[in-house]
Amino acid sequence: MRNKNRSRRFKLLRFVAAVMALGLLASACGDDSDDGGATGTTAPATTAAGDSAATLLKIALVAPSASDDLAFTQSMVDAINELSDPVALSITDGTFVIEEAATAIREYAAAGNEIVVAHGTQFGASLAEIAPDFPEVTFLWGTSTDTQGLANVFAYSPDAAEGGYVNGVVAAAISSSGSIGVVGPIEAGDAVTYITGFNNGALANGATEVSITYTGSFGDVALAAEAATALITNGADVLTGSAQMVVGAVGVASDEGVPWFGTQANQTSLDPSLVVASQVYHWEVVLEEMIAQRKAGVLGGEAFEINLANGGLEIEFNDGFDLPADARAAGDAAIAGIIDGSIDPNG
Amino acid sequence: MATDTDIPMLEMRGITKRFPGVLANDAVDLTVRSGEVHTLLGENGAGKSTLMKILFGLYQPDEGEIRLNGEAIEVESPSFAIAHGIGMIHQHFMLVPTLTVAENVALGTRSTRWPLTDLPVVSRRVEEISEKFGLAIDPSIEVWKLAVGERQRVEIIKALYRDARLLVLDEPTAVLTPQEVEEFFGILNEMRSTGHGLIFISHKLREVVAISDEITVLRNGRVTGHTTPAESDRHQLATMMVGREVSLAPDRPEIEPGESRLVIRNLVVESDRGTTAVDGLDLDVRAGEIVGIAGVSGNGQRELAEVIAGLRDAETGSSVQINGVEVVGLGARIARDAGLAYVPEERMRDGAIGDFTVSENLVLVDHGSEEFSRRGLLRFGVIRRHSQELVDRFEVKTPGLDTATSTLSGGNIQKLILARELASGPTVLLAAQPTRGVDIGAAEYIHEQIIEQRSGGAAALVVSEDLDELMGIADRIAVMFEGRIMGIVEIEDATREALGLMMAGVHEGSPA
Amino acid sequence: MSDFFTATVLFSTLAAGIRLSTPFLFAGLGEMVGQKSGVLNLGVEGVMLLSAFFAYWTALSTGSLWLAVLVGTLVGLLMGVVYGLITVVFHAEQGISGIGIFLFGLGFSDLMFQEKVGTPKFTSKLPSVDIPLLSDIPHVGVAFFQHSAMTYAAFVMVPLVMILLRRTTFGTNVRAAGENPESADSLGVSVARIRFSAIVIGNTLAGVAGTALVLELGIFQPNLTAGRGFIAIALVYFGAWRAPGVMAGALLYGVVEATVITWKALGIIPRSLSDISAMAPAVITIAALVILARRVKPPAALTQPFSRH
Repeated sequence: MRNKNRSRRFKLLRFVAAVMALGLLASACGDDSDDGGATGTTAPATTAAGDSAATLLKIALVAPSASDDLAFTQSMVDAINELSDPVALSITDGTFVIEEAATAIREYAAAGNEIVVAHGTQFGASLAEIAPDFPEVTFLWGTSTDTQGLANVFAYSPDAAEGGYVNGVVAAAISSSGSIGVVGPIEAGDAVTYITGFNNGALANGATEVSITYTGSFGDVALAAEAATALITNGADVLTGSAQMVVGAVGVASDEGVPWFGTQANQTSLDPSLVVASQVYHWEVVLEEMIAQRKAGVLGGEAFEINLANGGLEIEFNDGFDLPADARAAGDAAIAGIIDGSIDPNG
Repeated sequence: MATDTDIPMLEMRGITKRFPGVLANDAVDLTVRSGEVHTLLGENGAGKSTLMKILFGLYQPDEGEIRLNGEAIEVESPSFAIAHGIGMIHQHFMLVPTLTVAENVALGTRSTRWPLTDLPVVSRRVEEISEKFGLAIDPSIEVWKLAVGERQRVEIIKALYRDARLLVLDEPTAVLTPQEVEEFFGILNEMRSTGHGLIFISHKLREVVAISDEITVLRNGRVTGHTTPAESDRHQLATMMVGREVSLAPDRPEIEPGESRLVIRNLVVESDRGTTAVDGLDLDVRAGEIVGIAGVSGNGQRELAEVIAGLRDAETGSSVQINGVEVVGLGARIARDAGLAYVPEERMRDGAIGDFTVSENLVLVDHGSEEFSRRGLLRFGVIRRHSQELVDRFEVKTPGLDTATSTLSGGNIQKLILARELASGPTVLLAAQPTRGVDIGAAEYIHEQIIEQRSGGAAALVVSEDLDELMGIADRIAVMFEGRIMGIVEIEDATREALGLMMAGVHEGSPA
Repeated sequence: MSDFFTATVLFSTLAAGIRLSTPFLFAGLGEMVGQKSGVLNLGVEGVMLLSAFFAYWTALSTGSLWLAVLVGTLVGLLMGVVYGLITVVFHAEQGISGIGIFLFGLGFSDLMFQEKVGTPKFTSKLPSVDIPLLSDIPHVGVAFFQHSAMTYAAFVMVPLVMILLRRTTFGTNVRAAGENPESADSLGVSVARIRFSAIVIGNTLAGVAGTALVLELGIFQPNLTAGRGFIAIALVYFGAWRAPGVMAGALLYGVVEATVITWKALGIIPRSLSDISAMAPAVITIAALVILARRVKPPAALTQPFSRH
C-alpha cells in the first residue's frame, strides 16, 4: 500500500515469474522412472487376461508414463505379459502426479490384488505409507536398490551400466571420428548409470571424446533435438541417449545419417536403418523370482537386479544396420566379459 | 433560444424501470426541444442516470414510450441511439487513454479504407468540428496526455462526429475549473444556436441556474417538479430536489484559531506514474480552523492526503508534523497515534471493507486496543455497545450492526467512516472528497460534523474538487496546481473567479 | 571444445536459437492479440499440444505436411471458439478457464496419442527452405536463411500483427476493448465480438505454434511442448504488449536456450552445472525484464469480463 507504484511493478514481475515457473515445471517433467512422468492423464487402461480371472494371480501395475512408450513403462507391461503363467493384470498408467499414483496403489491393494507394482522410484514415499496397511499384499517397487526395510516390498532395478558399456564399446568401434555424443535428461537415476557405463565402454574401446549433454528435462523433445544437432556440429558421428525425450535426438540422428544406440526398449522402429543396438529390460526374469518367493510365503524384503548375467538385460542388435563383424565381436566380447566379471562397466 | 417547432426533438413518456427491489424510474416524462438546454436535476439515486441509460439503449424500459422528432422508437442499443443522432457525454469519460484522439473518435465508425483505418480523413473532420464549435484539440495526440477539460472536448467531438443532434451531458462540469466551466458553457451555447438539443445532468445548482432553459427535477425515481431558472432560485431547486428545507450554507461559529497542529514543510511526493505529484509544498493548519484544498483533480491532492495519512512515502527532506510528531514514511499507525483522523477519498478502497459488517468496520482501526480486545481475543459485547452508540450518534442508516457495509448507500458508508474516525476525538482531521457521491442530506450532516470538530478545537484539512463545498465550510482555501500551493485565501476574500484562475495555474495568490 | 568460438558454432547456435524461438513467437503474438483485447489465455500450452498432436496424426496418416499444417491451424481456431465461448459468452474467470484448457489439452492430446498412435513414429519433417542467394552467404546463410517455411512465417507475423493492431479498424477496436470496454460499447462496438475474434486469432496462432514445433521434430510425444506455451505468455509481458518486444523476447529465450545446450554439448558448461543452467533462459529473461523494466502497464481491462449490467 505504501508505494503503490513499486508494488504494482512487483506484482507484474511476480506474475511473470509464476508463469515462467509453471513453464519450467512443465518442461522439467517427462516420462521417466526417476523423476516422474509427464503424461498428466489418469487413463486407467485395464486389461484382463482371460475370463477365469478369479483363479489367476492378480497383479496390478501403476506406472508414470504410457504403456506403449517404447521405454520405461512398456518394458514392465511387456515383462508381465511375458510371464510363464498367465496373470490377471490391471494397469493405471500415465500417473505423472504422485498423489494420483498413490491413490491407485492403495485402491489396487484394497481391491484384492495379490501383487501391486509401483513402477517408479518416485512412488517410494507413498509406498512406505501404504505397504504397512496391507500386510497380505506384496508390493514391487522399482527402480530401487533397496526395500526401505518394508517386509512386504520387493525392490527391483536394472544395472543399466552393463548395457551402456556394451553400447559404448560398439559405438567406439564404428565411430570414425572417435567423437561420440550422448543426450541425457536430468542427471539422475538410470540415465546416469547407463551413461556412465556407455562412457566407460566407449573410452575403453578407443573413443577419443564422449560429449555428454544433459538437457535438463525428461520431456523436452525439442531441446533433445538441438542437443543432438550441437553434438553432430561438434563432430560426433555416433549418438546415444536415455529417457523419453531422446526421440528428438533420434530424429536429428536420422536426418544426419548418424548411427544411434538405444536403451530401455528396442528403439529400432524409430529408424530401422540407423539404430545399431538397444539395451532392453526383461523384468520378467526378476518378476518370476519375486512371484515364486511370494508363493513360498515370503512377501517381500529383498532387492533384485536385472543384468546381463541373469538375462534381465539384453542387447538387441538391429539386423537392419550393417554392423561390421569386428564391431559386433567387440560387443559380444564385452557382454561375455561383464557376465564373467572380468569387466566392470562402472569402473 | 429555442427554435420554434411544434414537434419536440425528444419525448419520453411514462418511462418506468424496475430493478430488483428498486423502482428506478416511475412514470417519468421528459420533453426536450431543439435548441434547448434541459437540465435533469436530482440527487444520486434519483433516477437521472437510469433514464439516460434508457435513452441511450443501455437499459430497456419496462413501460413507457420514446419519441424522437415525433416518431416512436425503441432504442435497443447504443449503436441504435448513435445512428439516430443521440450522443452521450458520460460522467466517467468513455475514452481509451492509450488511443489517439482520432482513433477514439473513429472507434465504431465506418472507415473509408476498411479494413484499414482512415485516420487522416477522421483528423480532418475533427479539425473542422473543432473549429466550428471552438474545441481546439490535436487529433494525433494520445488521450492520456490530455488534460481533463480537453478530454471532455474529445467526448463532445465524438458525439458531433457522429452527427448527434441530441446530446446528453452527464455531470460534465464535475471535473472542470470555474473558468473551464465558462468555456464549456460557451460550447453549449454554440451547440444550442445550431439547433442541438442538450440534456444537462447536474446537481450544481449555480450552474443549473446559469445555463438551463428548462429544468426537470427528479426524486426517488419520480418527476417532482418542472420549472425554469426564471421561476426558481437555487434554494427552491434544492428544496425540490431533497424534498425538504435544506440550508446550503452551514452555520460556522466565529472562533480564533490556535497553534499549528498540522505542519507541512518542503513536501515532495512521487506519483504512481513516477512523476512529481507534490512539488515542495508548505502548509500549516491551526487548531480551530478548516483549511480547504481546492484544485482540479490530479494536481497532487490525492498524494498529499496519502502522505499525511501515512499511506505513501515522500522524498527525503520532506516533513509532515502532526502535533509536533514527524510522520513522513512511518505508516498509518504513527499518524493516527499522533492524533490524526482520516476520511479517505476512495471510501470503499481505503476507508471501509465492503464485506465486513458495520460493526467490524467501526472498530477496524482500534480493534487491537485494550478496550476492544483482551489477549488477542475480540470483546464482542464491548464492540457491539460501542458500535450501536456510534451508529445512533452519527445517524448511520443501517438495518443492523451485522449488515455487510457494501450494501449501505454512499452517504451512510461515509457517515460510518466519519463515526469511526471522529469517535477517538482527533486533534487533526483530514477529509478527502468527503461528500463526493453523497446526497445533499448526508452532505449537510457531514459538513456539520466537520465544523463541530473544528469548533471543538481540531485542525481540519478538507480536500475537495467542489468549490461550493469549500466556500461553504472552510476558513481558508489553498489552491493546488501541479503539486504546489498557488495561493491561500481567507474565506472572506475568496471569489470563485480568483480561485478558478489559481486552479488553472494562472495567477499566483498571496504567498502561503 | 577448443573451437567453441568458431563462426561455425556461433552461427549454428544462432540458427538453433531461431528455430527454438519459432513456437514462442507464434504463441506469444497470439497471446498478445488476445491480451490486447482484454482476455488472458493461460491455455496456450494446451492448445499447442492439441494442435501438435492433430497435425502430427494428420502427417502420419496422410503423409501430407500441408494438410498437417492446415489441421493444426484449424484445431487452434476451434479451441479459440471454445475459449471464446467460455470467457466471452459465459464470462468464466479467465485464469481458471485457461488452466482448464491447458489441462484438457495436456490430457486429451496424450489420450489421443495413446489411442491412435501409441508407439512413437516419425513423420516427414518440415523441409528447410533455402532462400536463394542469401542462404549461400557463408555462416549468415545457415543462421538466417536455411529455415523451415514456418520459421519465416513466424517472423513475417510480427509486422502483420503490428499492422493488424495499429492500422486496422479491427485493431483499434481490439485495443479499445482491452483498455476501456465500456467506451467501445458506448460507441456501438460489440466488445464480445471483438474479444471473441481476438481470442480466435490468438488461439489459432497458438495452434500454429504447436504445429510448427511438432513438424520441426517430426514426432509427437505426450507433453511435447514442455512448458513453451507458458513461456510464451511470460514473453508477452516481457515484450510489453508490442509485437517487436515479443519477438525480442522469443529470440532472447530461444538463443539462450540454444547457447546453453550448445555449450553443454561442447563441454563449456561443466556437467555439475548442467541442471542449473537449464534455468538460464528463464533467469536471463526475467533479469532482462527487471533491468529493462519500463513502466508499462497491461491493458487496463485485462482479465475483466465485460457485460452491460
